[in-house]
Amino acid sequence: MDEPPQGEITVLLAAWRQGDPEALNKIMPLVYAELHRIARRAWSQQPHNNTLQPTALINEAYLKLASSENASFKDRMHFFAVASSAMRQILVNHAKGRLAAKRGGARAHVSLDDVQPVHQEAAEIVALHEALDALQAVDPRKSKIVEMRYFGGLSVEETAEALDISVRTVNRDWRLARSWLIREMNREST
Amino acid sequence: MSRQPEWEEIERIYHEALDLPVRERRALLARLDPRLREEVESLIEADSSTMLLTTPPTHMAADLLDGQPGGLAAGQRVGRYEIESLLSIGGMGEVYLARGDGGMPVALKILRPHLVVSAQAVDRFETEARAASALRHPNIVTVYESGRSPAGLFIAMEWLDGSTFRSVIHAGEVELSKAINWGGQAASAIAAAHRAGILHRDIKPENIMLVKTGVLKILDFGLARHGTPDGAEPNAIGASGTISGTLSGTLLYMSPEILRGETATSASDVFSLGAFLYELAAGRHPFAGDTPLDVFEAIECRPVAPMSSLRTGIPVRIDQLVLEMLDREPEMRPSAEEVAEALRTL
Repeated sequence: MDEPPQGEITVLLAAWRQGDPEALNKIMPLVYAELHRIARRAWSQQPHNNTLQPTALINEAYLKLASSENASFKDRMHFFAVASSAMRQILVNHAKGRLAAKRGGARAHVSLDDVQPVHQEAAEIVALHEALDALQAVDPRKSKIVEMRYFGGLSVEETAEALDISVRTVNRDWRLARSWLIREMNREST
Repeated sequence: MSRQPEWEEIERIYHEALDLPVRERRALLARLDPRLREEVESLIEADSSTMLLTTPPTHMAADLLDGQPGGLAAGQRVGRYEIESLLSIGGMGEVYLARGDGGMPVALKILRPHLVVSAQAVDRFETEARAASALRHPNIVTVYESGRSPAGLFIAMEWLDGSTFRSVIHAGEVELSKAINWGGQAASAIAAAHRAGILHRDIKPENIMLVKTGVLKILDFGLARHGTPDGAEPNAIGASGTISGTLSGTLLYMSPEILRGETATSASDVFSLGAFLYELAAGRHPFAGDTPLDVFEAIECRPVAPMSSLRTGIPVRIDQLVLEMLDREPEMRPSAEEVAEALRTL
């Protein structure tokens, strides 16, 4: 198993914070790969009480990738902002795969009413992803807030800290963004 | 992009309007120029939707973590059962054909460990599985046992050869005499469960099977599903969290009281059964809509068209009975027992 380069991410994060947009492009593949690695291992170990919040995965990725001992809360939140994008990409890709697989048809002798949740959610995730891209064009900050809250599982406070804005702003942005996205998705589906 | 210059204004008015009592909000909106007003109004309307972003995408994450669902190989043992083949894969688990003692075929449903996120969820699941396994009725799938294994929580149940009513409905118009007969079988199963103090909570065609012998079997009685992870926080934006987007597959059969977030009662099961009977006999769902929101609205306030307006030959008594089952007031609905009786004597 190839280990991710320890510490490299810390340097890249610092560069990104100092305004180097290229750094983000280098961070993403590392985070993406690590999240996948964690996901696979989590499954092979099958811990019964493993919670599934995306945050838990991201947190683990952070501990793995960044030498976190001296990292500040803000450093961690910056990482979370990046990891939320990676998580979004992972979940969207997976959702698309799921939807494609479904079209292949399924054998069902015994009904599994659980079939619905995943496919329903897959369709919603893909639709939300597209609507978020549209929102990005109108209001990038709101798009980012939704990405962090929904795909990254970050709390309002964590989101505020990562983006250097107030909790009140996050709440207001979130509310409007949600309305905007719902409207957009309804328009798309009709 | 003509909208962009106005965006800040839309945003300002949106928040201002939401902070106002409804009457003052209307007055504020009435003063706006039509385009701006349309923008703000449509956003405010979307704000009241409970359909989106209320819970994290846990099912998808579980599915992703599983990597390869259906990971159990033929010959592998789960409890005292030996896996034979994978029958179907769902969001929260898989169903396998397995062999029990003496080679008896069983359907083995395995719940994904990742979605069982709390001790309470496990307890609830096991309690309800025990309750369901106590139900013995010719129209209810027999649950042999439930238990834990390294592969996850499992339920062993009667293996059925047939298809779900979803495919029966898809296949085209159903003979009325058959629809009535099946409706009677379903109602008597539900009545038996209600007598035992067990609710189904999720009656819909996907959960009802037609066995090749012509017998109808209801699946998944009272089993815990769709568990909202206990850590999932209800949305801060006023959404109750009772309807997550992932539930919308079931939305069509949900009673108005469930949509309002109230506790399910036996009358809620009767409502869902009524929607199923309607769909079976009339060939169209009583609350069909293009979007979840349409369905939501239909269940809450659209008058239900009598089945006789969709199909000729529907006996008046059936039409009346189904409409009563779909009454918005739970206390106005007949009991499952009464429904079974009415369908039997028809």
